[in-house]
Amino acid sequence: MNHDPFKWGRPNDATYGAYNHHIAQATPYAYEEQHASSTSTTTSSFPKMNTQNPIITGTSVISLKFKDGVILAADNLGSYGSLARFTNIERLIRVGKETIVGISGDISDLQQIERILEELETTQEVYDNFDGGDDLKAPHVHEYLSRVMYNRRSNMNPLWNAIVVGGFDKDGKTPFLKYVDLLGVTYGSSTIATGFGAHLAVPLLRQLIPEDKDYVNITEEQARECILNAMTVLFYRDARSLDKFSLVTVKNDGEFKFEKELRCEGQRWKFAKDIRGYGSAQQ
Amino acid sequence: MFRNNYDNDSVTYSPTGRLFQVEYALEAIKQGSAAVGIVSSTHVALVALKRNAEELGSYQKKIIKIDDHMGIALAGLAPDARVLSNFLRKQAMTSKMIYNKPISTQSAVLSIADKAQENTQSYGSRPYGVGLLVGGYDESTDSCHLYEFQPSGSVLEYYGAAIGARSQAARTYLERNLDTIRGSEAHLSQEELIVHALNALRDTLAQDVELTYKNTSVSIVGKNTPFALYDDENVQQWIDKLDAVSNSRNRSNGDDDDDDEDDNDDNKDDAVKTETGATADAGESAADSAVGANIQTDAGQEDRMETE
Amino acid sequence: MTSIGTGYDLSNSVFSPDGRNFQVEYAMKAVENGGTSIGLKCKDGIVLAVEKIINSKLLVAGSNKRIQTIDRHIGVAYSGLLPDGRHFVNRGRDEAQSFKSLYKSAVSVPHLMDRLGIYVQNYTCYNSVRPFGIVAIVGGVDENGPHLYMIEPSGTCWGYTGAATGKGRQTAKSELEKLNFEELTVREAIKVAAKIIDQAHEDNKDKDYELEVTWCSLEETGGKHVHVPEDLLQEAIKLAKEDDDDDDDEEEDDDEEEDQEMET
Repeated sequence: MNHDPFKWGRPNDATYGAYNHHIAQATPYAYEEQHASSTSTTTSSFPKMNTQNPIITGTSVISLKFKDGVILAADNLGSYGSLARFTNIERLIRVGKETIVGISGDISDLQQIERILEELETTQEVYDNFDGGDDLKAPHVHEYLSRVMYNRRSNMNPLWNAIVVGGFDKDGKTPFLKYVDLLGVTYGSSTIATGFGAHLAVPLLRQLIPEDKDYVNITEEQARECILNAMTVLFYRDARSLDKFSLVTVKNDGEFKFEKELRCEGQRWKFAKDIRGYGSAQQ
Repeated sequence: MFRNNYDNDSVTYSPTGRLFQVEYALEAIKQGSAAVGIVSSTHVALVALKRNAEELGSYQKKIIKIDDHMGIALAGLAPDARVLSNFLRKQAMTSKMIYNKPISTQSAVLSIADKAQENTQSYGSRPYGVGLLVGGYDESTDSCHLYEFQPSGSVLEYYGAAIGARSQAARTYLERNLDTIRGSEAHLSQEELIVHALNALRDTLAQDVELTYKNTSVSIVGKNTPFALYDDENVQQWIDKLDAVSNSRNRSNGDDDDDDEDDNDDNKDDAVKTETGATADAGESAADSAVGANIQTDAGQEDRMETE
Repeated sequence: MTSIGTGYDLSNSVFSPDGRNFQVEYAMKAVENGGTSIGLKCKDGIVLAVEKIINSKLLVAGSNKRIQTIDRHIGVAYSGLLPDGRHFVNRGRDEAQSFKSLYKSAVSVPHLMDRLGIYVQNYTCYNSVRPFGIVAIVGGVDENGPHLYMIEPSGTCWGYTGAATGKGRQTAKSELEKLNFEELTVREAIKVAAKIIDQAHEDNKDKDYELEVTWCSLEETGGKHVHVPEDLLQEAIKLAKEDDDDDDDEEEDDDEEEDQEMET
């Protein structure tokens, strides 16, 4: 099979002429390479290009609702391609009194979102807020982030992230868990995972909570165990993950527990020796 | 007569530190007919007296809905109020759009306060000529609030407030009944709240005027109560609830005739149209300016020096 | 004010022949009638307090807050035209926010005051605007400890250990001068502030007032500028009123300092 997407289902070149690669891959560099000799056209005549791919990345964020709160986890790795470049990246951000935001994807965009959230918190909770202000709740944070994300993508300049917002609904009691990503897509669920976790962790989480409404039967202990297990499984199989992670538990009795530098416990690597190409043994 | 040199624009202080243009703008509020607001722990009622410019003309709108949880009543230049209410609506929609949250009454009213302040500090624009009562229910704190907005950019929160012509009479009523309205025991129903507001409004009426379904606007908003505005036929139900239909001054005359056609013969020939304009209060406002109400500094030379 | 009426006081940004800017002086007059505001810089933080005159019993008690927050660690109390004060604070917030977006750290109080001084001064330079009708007392705690500044309509901006403005400033100043700021803690300063505001209120005795106090201290508030807790406030008010009965008729001051001139 021809693996060049541009060859798939394209009309014969005889019909419209050859595909103009400049349109799809409109980079100034590609243009300059092609036209190194000619000086008549400047690169500025080409379309502007923004972020096309993330650079330093964080992998999955996984999260669950349980009967009196939400639980989120994300590891501390910042990958540079396949290189485990940074091992101390915090990807869970607290906003206001009871909201937690988990971010995967590009780390510099994560840092930008961190600033945006700090500014949001300042304008909403510090300015002219005289009754102590727990005004900023998870639905507001999520809506705000989804406006930011959709706006950026509509300007063809996305923040390259997938975000999970956890906390409580406007009543302060009902657990709240929603997702928004670089396209501005949003959805809510009792089980949310981003990145590789969306493939590997979601089935594990849904074993505990098969349907959205079922979270009301789940205790904090069950949820926590499920999340810890999912983090371990992700570490086994996700080559861009780390066994050091942060975990946040928010409960509607006001408890906000932020645990850092947790390790994936009880790892069993016995299977590893059976895998071809693993470890030092050459075959 | 001595010509005041310091009142040509809002960027000139008088030697005593006053801003006459801004103070004059506060006077414009008194040219408009009265509006009254009261807040309980669960609801805010706004009521207002409407005027019509001529017999065949319609009555001027006095109460404007901002959002399901907020409304305003105005006194003064109605077009200015339209500009401000448009701005408020925009703020309310933005809050819903960006934060998925109905705007809080306080931040709404502060947004127009800051807007009004700009017009008092730069040359080439005039201060707004309208006072507003802003009432709203805040979902986040489950509470109701009533604010008075002034063209100077000042905003204060009240249990009960009145603006416009002869509003001092309404304030007197409110102060006298503050304990029944706001006492620790008091949990006024919507109906009681509106009746108190209408009673206060009725005290502002001129000698031969009565509250009728044509000249009265009533609105209520609060917990589990989306903003509701009652006009024309719909307002009669509230007027019927008043203990006597005539105002106290008229009652002593035994004149119970509430023929609404003759309330307005005194406001046809006004040169400067305020919200519908009325010369009925000319004497009053002259007296007011003689006293020289000061722009609100915190020392409280507010426009509370009416001579009535 | 000998030159009033000679025409040099009708427009902002105009010097009189003897080098005065009358509009700035008149702006100061707007402040001098306003409720008293004070600020104290203690060894462990700052305390701000205002005398809030109550004009109507229909006003919601405890609402209508007057002391505002510019950034988490910086607060402002002001006397004069209150809407101008809001304008001033909004500008301060913009400055603080743009500083943070540039340098990723909270703005220091001296730097913020420098910026705000420039902003306020600008409103004395053009005839298309008027000077701010406020004197603002800005206090906060940053990495270099507590700071207290007072800024005037002219843009003048000095650091203080104790600052007072508004109608009762003379009384307040003379009380502040008696204090030992080296030893004073913010917790004690709340009571002192309540007392001073109460004494300053003597100048305005015919009207009721409400006391509003905020503080900012690393130890007490975690470096955040917040209103003091209700119990501390009530205790301070009670103490102030008690003392008040003892030495009721001591202070008698007629503020006799008309010539608040723009420094040259």
